[in-house]
Amino acid sequence: MLTFTVRRLLYGVLLLFVIVTIAYLLLYAAAGDVGRTILGPTATQATVTLKDQQLGLNSPLITRYFSWLGHALTGNFGSSWFTNQPVTTAILTRLQVTLTLVFGAVIVSAALSAVLGVWAALRGGWVDRIIQVFSVLGFAVPGFLIAVFLVRIFALELHWFKPTGYVPITYYFGGWVRTVTLPIIALSIGLVAGVAQQVRSSVIDALRQDWVRTLRSRGVSERSVLFKHVLRNAGGPALSVLALSFVGLLGGAVIIEEVFGIPGLGQVAVLATSEGDVPLVMGLVVAIGVIVILVNLVIDLLQGFLNPKARIS
Amino acid sequence: MFHRKLPGVAAGAALALLGSLVLGACGGSAGSSSTLTLGLITPATTFEAPDMNWGNESPYNQAVYDSLVQASPAGVIEPHLATAWSYNTARTVLTMTLRSGVTFTDGTPFNASVAVKNLEAFQKGTSNNASDLVNMASATAVSPTELVIRLKQPDPAFLTYLGEAAGSQESPKAWTSPTAATVPVGSGPYMLDAQATVVGSSYVFTANPSYWDKPEQHYSKIVMNVYTSATTVLDAIEGGQVNAANTFDDTTIPQIQDAGFTVYPLELNWAGLSLFDRNGTMSGPLGNVKVRQAINDAFDRAALLKDMSDGYGSVTTQIFPTNSPGYENSLNSYYSFDPAKAKQLLAQAGYPHGFTLDMPSITVAFGEAAYALIQAELANIGIKVNYTDYQGSTIFTAILAPKYPATYFTLEEDPIPWQLAEFILTKDATFNPFHSTNSTVAGYLSTIQTGSSAQAATAARALNQYVVQNAWFAPFFRPQSSFVADGHTAVLVQAGNAVPYLWNIEPKP
Repeated sequence: MLTFTVRRLLYGVLLLFVIVTIAYLLLYAAAGDVGRTILGPTATQATVTLKDQQLGLNSPLITRYFSWLGHALTGNFGSSWFTNQPVTTAILTRLQVTLTLVFGAVIVSAALSAVLGVWAALRGGWVDRIIQVFSVLGFAVPGFLIAVFLVRIFALELHWFKPTGYVPITYYFGGWVRTVTLPIIALSIGLVAGVAQQVRSSVIDALRQDWVRTLRSRGVSERSVLFKHVLRNAGGPALSVLALSFVGLLGGAVIIEEVFGIPGLGQVAVLATSEGDVPLVMGLVVAIGVIVILVNLVIDLLQGFLNPKARIS
Repeated sequence: MFHRKLPGVAAGAALALLGSLVLGACGGSAGSSSTLTLGLITPATTFEAPDMNWGNESPYNQAVYDSLVQASPAGVIEPHLATAWSYNTARTVLTMTLRSGVTFTDGTPFNASVAVKNLEAFQKGTSNNASDLVNMASATAVSPTELVIRLKQPDPAFLTYLGEAAGSQESPKAWTSPTAATVPVGSGPYMLDAQATVVGSSYVFTANPSYWDKPEQHYSKIVMNVYTSATTVLDAIEGGQVNAANTFDDTTIPQIQDAGFTVYPLELNWAGLSLFDRNGTMSGPLGNVKVRQAINDAFDRAALLKDMSDGYGSVTTQIFPTNSPGYENSLNSYYSFDPAKAKQLLAQAGYPHGFTLDMPSITVAFGEAAYALIQAELANIGIKVNYTDYQGSTIFTAILAPKYPATYFTLEEDPIPWQLAEFILTKDATFNPFHSTNSTVAGYLSTIQTGSSAQAATAARALNQYVVQNAWFAPFFRPQSSFVADGHTAVLVQAGNAVPYLWNIEPKP
């Protein structure tokens, strides 16, 4: 297991190197007139030239790349061209906000999916059909539409929640709940739809297995069969879907944070990309790359824990 | 067999609903009467005074920094850190008397030596307004309260600049601080609360307890939230999360008014064609004034205003704004939509079958429709437009190179004639890439630069007439931009600025 973990981490580092290299080259190839982009049309050409010099854009691209890489290895990703904030600070400040939404969505989705999936598998009939219809709708309706609907109804009409912004949990718990609830619901609905279906199918499959019949014939209680054996067996595929969705949720958060005006990674990613803020975009590439690699590693390790057949010795 | 009820689900839902209702009962508005929450559309590029921008970013600057002078809402220059000033006869030496007893929030006293360093730093900085001090030859501290600024040539807009970013005063200790970009130290009415601030999204300021000009400090706390789309601004307004806000466009104005907000309309720019190649260097036909006039007659400006700006704004054929001494009401309709006359003018100029005009486009900024409309209206009189589309700032490089004889753009219209001239009309103006000039224009500009206020105003009106009659541009309309405020907030809009000056936003009594 240790060898496997180390090997996967080394692959991850290599992958990250390739990603940042390609991203760096592509971003600078498309960067255009950087000084002019930052200063706008009213600045004189002399000021624009001075800005380019300050940013070190006069040196060759390859020199700039290795300089950036050297600094990045020490944790220094430079400063944003448009807010002058250190990239590391900008990302760490916002990462906690985005992770709050993503983990919140994962927890809500896991709980709801388990309940709905099991319920549909056990009850069948109209309950199953309603949950199936909900799943299809959850897949079909884009998250941002759900977000706009939630804002309109629950924030602007009923005033139960805040339509925009974010209050840190350390500042005011009630305010935090009022700012994260709707975004988490918007992020969760699509995920619940997918994972509930997976749980339902897995539970139905497990219930049809011979070992379930054997357990029942030995007099094991139905509750024990379900919770100790069937759910553990059915949990692997559902966990895979849920964990893989974690990365997808980071992408979903981009839109959701825009709709709710939440100062997370998604909002800064949209702004930095549209402005052409290369240092900040590069920092985001590294941060998200690291998250994706780590999440995939954790998924593999969890799969091994849940299913001994998936273990790599 | 496994038909079990799930009471936990219902209980959980009920709990969530209850929680929501309880939390809902704790609902609040944008803030108390001593807190102002502003919605802005751009973050602060930096808090380092020498590199700060103005316009949409002016509230950040005004919260933490004092400037040497202040402009009234109408643009009249008034005392601030400088209590008095005078020019020499040639208007090249400006002597200012500075306020004593002012200290920065780190305890450092403000004096003329500090002002000199700040002015020099701004001149060498990379603000997009750095050229405001291009005419400053030197600044000297004669005494702690006397500052002398020598100019290379008279600059009628110089005092105005000293009331903006160029005149902002930062503490000397911040000049060497590695965190100056995000932790400002000024002498202004508020101090940035760096702990509560999320750079790029939400900036929190608290009142400076030792501020010297208390009447201009209307709030104990100011929050400036950055919104990145028209929808989020509208949601914040409808949700009562802001007291006042800058807006992205005018499409949401009816909903903003429905939310009980007052709309303060502004016209800060003009949209239309800049016919740069007035000597026909790159495009022979544009060298002929009749061709440029024909282009002006080709456009149905009322229709363009409706299609390109949802009808918000006003049609015009001049580039001088309504609050400029050079403004002439009659020049709003000097050209009218008359394709037949336009074709006649083209024929008289020797182009009965029209010609081809190359222009750049930036559809990501102005949309496909705007360019298509311009293309269609010019095609109607026989001028075929070929566009080269750009995705970003490289369009400015191409325009200013110059690579194109004309372009469509939305450009600023400054209330001070000399400011406008230095941007677009003088021989070396940034947006005069072909360096168009002649003795008539140069004469008017000279009077604007060196004459008395009355002489300058007369020359500005004459210059405006000349530019319109000779069709240096083909303006379509002045698009409206809007600042909005709720019923608790009084606002005085600022001439020539997208956002009211901070001290002109205050709680209603």
